Amino acid sequence: MSSAIAAAPVSPPFAAAPQTQGEEEVVSLDGLSLCYRLAQQRVFSFKEYLINMIRGSLTYNDLWALQDIDLKVCRSEVLGVIGRNGAGKSTLLKVISGVLKPTSGQRRVAGKISPILELGTGFDFELTGLENIYLNALLRGHSRVEVHGKVDEIIEFSGLGDFIHSPVRNYSTGMMARLGFSVATAWVPEVLVLDEVLSVGDARFLKRCHQRLEAFREAGTTIFIVSHNPLEILHHCSRCLWLDGGQIQADGTPQEVVRAYAVSAGDDETVAMLDAPADP
Amino acid sequence: METMRELFRYRDLIWELVTRDLKVRYRRSALGFLWSMLQPLLTMGVLMIVFSSIFRFDIKNYPVYALSGILFWNFFQQSIVVSMNSLRVHAYVLQKLPVPMAVFPISTVLSGLVNLLLALVPLLGLLIATGHKMGPSLLFLPVSILIATLFTLGAGMMLAPLSVFFTDIVEMVTVGLMLFFYLTPIFYPKEIVQGTSYYPIIHYNPLRSILEVFRDPIYYSKIPPLSHLSLSLLVTVLALAIGYWAFKRSIDRIPFYL
Repeated sequence: MSSAIAAAPVSPPFAAAPQTQGEEEVVSLDGLSLCYRLAQQRVFSFKEYLINMIRGSLTYNDLWALQDIDLKVCRSEVLGVIGRNGAGKSTLLKVISGVLKPTSGQRRVAGKISPILELGTGFDFELTGLENIYLNALLRGHSRVEVHGKVDEIIEFSGLGDFIHSPVRNYSTGMMARLGFSVATAWVPEVLVLDEVLSVGDARFLKRCHQRLEAFREAGTTIFIVSHNPLEILHHCSRCLWLDGGQIQADGTPQEVVRAYAVSAGDDETVAMLDAPADP
Repeated sequence: METMRELFRYRDLIWELVTRDLKVRYRRSALGFLWSMLQPLLTMGVLMIVFSSIFRFDIKNYPVYALSGILFWNFFQQSIVVSMNSLRVHAYVLQKLPVPMAVFPISTVLSGLVNLLLALVPLLGLLIATGHKMGPSLLFLPVSILIATLFTLGAGMMLAPLSVFFTDIVEMVTVGLMLFFYLTPIFYPKEIVQGTSYYPIIHYNPLRSILEVFRDPIYYSKIPPLSHLSLSLLVTVLALAIGYWAFKRSIDRIPFYL
């Protein structure tokens, strides 16, 4: 089944997005594109560079990871982003977070942004969990005094107990995710960005994460979630974006978009699950 | 201006990086903080043996002359090497969090500065032990150190992005630093090359003016003459301007290469 047909039931971008109630826009991307210059963007030696320049053979392949993305996201929206590997999901989140600058187009974000782009986001593996709480919060632009006031709460939320005093290099991925999430969500940001962070925690921690996300949403935080888990998208998101080849393939309610993506990916289980509740 | 305000917001981070760097540096060695004071003294001892007994420099109180040069050089050289690598070392952060990148070269130069200040203690001891003439000109030293710090920061910010784009810059700079070590009158008096074809190179070497502004109040007990001062200020402003420009120009591309 081709993706064009699969996407057909979903209306063009924005038309179907039920959240655009003339609300306050927090994130807006205008005609945004991002290009990785593959051959060039590996690290050359200066010698190689000079030789190539003289030869005139400084060639590179352009890979457009994002192409002409227009996106407006409002306060309290929870936007799920789905798509195949290499579709541009993580790149989109990196651009929104301000880690990568777009090649062309505009990015506007109103307010503080707190990204968790990967497990163990910016941890120094040689430092203890506690030292990393300080370092990470400072890297996120908080002051030492602010961290002092929150550190007990962060440790408590992470549930890491005495492990907080051992180096992060000894942590499991789940523990690292706990710590990362606890620091990044210790303060309520205007925008929270989560790149597949919720997939590794255990059930109890996940429940607490979900409660916190819900509280954030009520407080007006805009949340971006990249996930390969359709349930997570359906459970949390108020809106869903399907990226393919760096372009927006569909933008609409999670039910519609997740279904369309599942159909195109041949994920019959998810399609069946989505269709089931419709039966009386 | 906006960058300045941004950096000010991250001042606690800069301080954290400085203290962490110092902790790591001193945790590793058994002698701890003592080492940073001892090391320049030992270098001076070697130079003293070589140059006041084997090759003779006709210079009064050579130990003070040499030590003041070594302290300046150690600060400059270490700060350059560390700040040059600072972006690559923190790649794990820069790929995941939107941090103003200048905090990394700034914090490495600041931790070099703390080391320099610590190393002033043995210098003071040497001044007293050798009965060197000390005057109120020593009060000018903070200004000299500020100039040296800003110059080093400019040079570090110029090199940090380059070392991200080109892997072999680090080796090239290492060789370049060795060259500068000999082209700057650190352990020899400038006068010994007078009349030779090397003199202009050494005279117009930008590092020389920075070094002399640092050394004048210590060794010669005088406030640096206007000629030294104006040249060093010019060189510093130039280094900062180029460093700022190079950094700003490459900042958007850096995460793609890390």
